[in-house]
Amino acid sequence: MATTEKRLGTARKLGFGVGLLKGMAVTLKHLFKHNTVIQYPDEKQDLGPRTRGVIALKEENCTVCMLCARECPDWCIYIDSHKETLPPKREGGRPRKRNVLDRFAIDYALCMYCGICVEVCPYDALFWSREFEYAEYDIRELTHEKEKLSDWMSTVLPPPSLDEGAEQPGVPARTAAAPAERPVAAAPSPAAPARGATTPAAPPTLAPEAAEQVDADRLPPPPQSRAQTQATERTAEAAAGADLTEAGEPTPSQVAAGEEAGPAAAQAPAPEGARDHKVEAEEPVPNVEVPHETPHPQPLAPEADPEAVYQSVLEEQKAKGSSPQVAEARARVARAKAERGIHRGPTPVATSKVVPSAPTKAEQEEASPEPTASGTATSEAQEPEPAPVAPTPQEEAKAETPPATEAPGDETPDQVFERVLAEERAKGSSDAVAQGRAKAARFKAERAMRDGG
Amino acid sequence: MIDITLTDWQILLVKLGIILTVVPVLTLVTGYAEHKVMAHLQHRLGPMYPGGFHGWAILLADGLKFIYKEDIVPTAADKRVFTLAPLAIFVPAVLVYLVIPIDETLIVEDLDVGLFYLLAISSVGTIGVLMAGWSSANKYALIGALRAAAQLIAYELPIVLSAAVIAMLAGTLSLVGIVQAQDWPFVLWPPGIGLAAFLIFTASGVAELTRPPFDMPVAESEIITGAFTEYSGMRFIFSFFFPEVANMIAFGAIGATLFLGGFNPIVPWGPLDAIPGIIWFLVKTSFMVFLFLWIRPTFPRLREDQLQRFAWKILIPLSLGLVLAAGAWVLYAPEAWVS
Repeated sequence: MATTEKRLGTARKLGFGVGLLKGMAVTLKHLFKHNTVIQYPDEKQDLGPRTRGVIALKEENCTVCMLCARECPDWCIYIDSHKETLPPKREGGRPRKRNVLDRFAIDYALCMYCGICVEVCPYDALFWSREFEYAEYDIRELTHEKEKLSDWMSTVLPPPSLDEGAEQPGVPARTAAAPAERPVAAAPSPAAPARGATTPAAPPTLAPEAAEQVDADRLPPPPQSRAQTQATERTAEAAAGADLTEAGEPTPSQVAAGEEAGPAAAQAPAPEGARDHKVEAEEPVPNVEVPHETPHPQPLAPEADPEAVYQSVLEEQKAKGSSPQVAEARARVARAKAERGIHRGPTPVATSKVVPSAPTKAEQEEASPEPTASGTATSEAQEPEPAPVAPTPQEEAKAETPPATEAPGDETPDQVFERVLAEERAKGSSDAVAQGRAKAARFKAERAMRDGG
Repeated sequence: MIDITLTDWQILLVKLGIILTVVPVLTLVTGYAEHKVMAHLQHRLGPMYPGGFHGWAILLADGLKFIYKEDIVPTAADKRVFTLAPLAIFVPAVLVYLVIPIDETLIVEDLDVGLFYLLAISSVGTIGVLMAGWSSANKYALIGALRAAAQLIAYELPIVLSAAVIAMLAGTLSLVGIVQAQDWPFVLWPPGIGLAAFLIFTASGVAELTRPPFDMPVAESEIITGAFTEYSGMRFIFSFFFPEVANMIAFGAIGATLFLGGFNPIVPWGPLDAIPGIIWFLVKTSFMVFLFLWIRPTFPRLREDQLQRFAWKILIPLSLGLVLAAGAWVLYAPEAWVS
């Protein structure tokens, strides 16, 4: 500041025109300076590594969570998807739903290159690329579909190396014990029975091995250790499904397997066959070390051999007259439940009753004094549709005694209608319900006649 | 030796032929220089592609482009005046060169009233600008024309007065005589008077050329080239582009002749006499032209009222004072100083 004022002072002393001369000196200096202009199409500038040129899509990472599309201030991201049902991972499991990306497009005519989508993407599916030469003659061409966006991935630079002494990404500063045990603890509940079942049965001979294992896990985590953790997680799930039978009753052979696998587990992931045993041997360890980290309720011990349950339910169902598919499915469910130690209610049977939906008031009144297996049936609440898993004993009863609507074959549809209507009214159903059920019965009768004749 | 005898008419035709070839070529060269010098003053590169080497053919390409352009005369325009106006601007810009002495004998016509002729002919262009602006039937053109008239008249006075100072100091109106009177160029001697006259002349010259920072009459950002808004194609070249550059060279040459000693060496020192006069003249003219080019990208533009105030309140009183000072110098300076 002082120097500027001084300079201004001298300028004033020297008089008019000094400012003009200074300005001319500035431009003259630039005339002789080395020119830094880059003649673009001929020469290309080395753009910075974080240049915002174009956004690339790593399609396989996208889970269609829509966060980018929602955060986009310009609404220039278009995503279409559909749900796909995958077969269950293991027998008796539920089919899995998965989002499949059909369309992912960015309209670069609208995009303002704010980069919010890249920052917000939780699964690292969007990246900045330095490429910027994608001008088009037609504005519609500026909407890049996912194929084009994926092509840009080849131009994405690898992430810059970390600064000296920076924390490694993805590994918390705490000891490795936490990441090692967390996946197991956080694994879906199927893993719990395995652990619960094995813990008390683990013989004391396993203890030194287990301690060793923990020590190995506490070491500063090399990447292998992380991979192994993941493998553990995977195998834990697999084991929970497949080998619960053994888990339930630890045999000497299993203990031996655990002893074998114990030291090996500290190294690279064990071969496929050994994994299940290894996991069973390992799993008690975190529980022993950190008992409070097992929030999952201890399940009941399996009450019967699942295979026996399967067979008995299958026969029961077949005896009841269920179709083979239904019988098999119910038997499978029963087996899975047995494996997990869930108390099994009586299995339902396929019924041919005409009244499939909510029970009538009369029925409810009848049912209310009796407790139901699921405990949900009350006098007021609408009872759910007969679930395949846990039907009420009342329904069981109904299913066994052929319902009144099971009409003799010589009735005409209209007669069925009249009869059902009368029955429903007698039961105290509302008019609309009675009508509806009667109509349904008539329709069924009509169809039966048509099919028969 | 070949003995050629030419009639006066033939001589005049040859002279005109020379002028009409030299001036356009000079204009092209200077136009290219303007592109490049201004670019580098602004830390740019300027044209780089036309012609392959540093864009040397940019003006040829420009000219070709203008030739291909449609020649439009607005419906509401006064067609005769509209078509005559470029001529009225173009011809005086060329005629200026008639009296400029390139060397002691290398001159088209050494008029006794050369300086007077120069000032008179360079004012004629103003009429052409007014014609163009008025006949275009366009508001921008009219505003531009009136601004141009006001500015050219305002800045004509300081130019005339500073030229009058030179005429008094040299004691002649002949341009060759003025150059011969400068053993030391007038910008250096008499001290102060010559320099002040030179600065006034330069400033007024920039204004007379309607170049930035005194470009209110053409003000491309406000009134889109003023009086020439409606001109297109070659008419635009002949009314605006060509006269501007040609006038710039002419003013450079006049400044070099009046103040920098023309074809004389810049200082009377023996070895410098070896350099031919034409080189001296070209170097000095180039310097003046460079000065005009240098001023353009350096200074911010003036507003119309600031521009008028600068002429009437500063430059004209100053140059009137200079005339007095020059008169005093001529009358009372010691004999030894004057020669």
